[in-house]
Amino acid sequence: MLNHREKRRYLAIMYDDNTILLPFQLHEKIAERFKELFGAINCELAMLKLYDSKFGNILFVGCNLKYLDYLLVSLSMTQPSFTVVSLSGTIKRLRKNVSSLDIRNIKSIAK
Amino acid sequence: MSKILDLDVIGIDSSYSTNMKPAENIISRMDKRQHPFSHYYPYLVVSDNVKTLDGKTDLFLIDPFQRKDAIKRKIKRGVGIEVSIAFSKKLDASLVGKWLKEVKSIYEFCKSNNCQFVLSSGATSVNELVSARSFESLLKLIGISPINYWNEISEWLYTKNKARWVHAKS
Repeated sequence: MLNHREKRRYLAIMYDDNTILLPFQLHEKIAERFKELFGAINCELAMLKLYDSKFGNILFVGCNLKYLDYLLVSLSMTQPSFTVVSLSGTIKRLRKNVSSLDIRNIKSIAK
Repeated sequence: MSKILDLDVIGIDSSYSTNMKPAENIISRMDKRQHPFSHYYPYLVVSDNVKTLDGKTDLFLIDPFQRKDAIKRKIKRGVGIEVSIAFSKKLDASLVGKWLKEVKSIYEFCKSNNCQFVLSSGATSVNELVSARSFESLLKLIGISPINYWNEISEWLYTKNKARWVHAKS
């Protein structure tokens, strides 16, 4: 049997600072919308997973590469709104990308 | 912000752009009234009402669910027809499916009438902005080639701005 590992992509997603929802609740909202639009089977196969971003209003979500387009569509069609600020093949690289962005500046624009 | 979203140009409503410095990556969206900064900002005249649609309108914001008969009669060659994603966020799944079908038909309408199809975020805040990669996923889902879309929209924006500068110089 081949020891094959599915390729994954990790997304940094910015959400509204004023939301009362916790990161895991926001992740549930994203998964719920994904299921609504593309079905429960695709949602399970996408293997959406929430990671601790350690940045303010930023979520890290991982998904199977094959289902990346579905996730991006779900994110752009979900209420509350989410903005994808970075995308990478590894969490380490994603964290590096996000820390190089001027998040404080983005937050001040958001306000 | 445009760099983060991987977009070359962002359209900003004229009421927000009054307190901003003119920049290459900003296009001001305004109504028919002449704003003082229109001389040094690239801009597009936007309308969302069929009744006010005339030769000066660059971009017409359409609700995909509205009847298209009146638009078909009034729309002119070269006008951009804009569909906003923000509207679809509040819809339930079955209506999202219908919305996507209507967006596809608008794209086909644009192709047959020499109009420019424009997909926009419809954002009213930074958190509602949509990245280039997300736009591409949505376009793929609708059945539009992202490469063709970006090429066509760049060309259309270039033509719009070029015409405006030639007019301003003469």
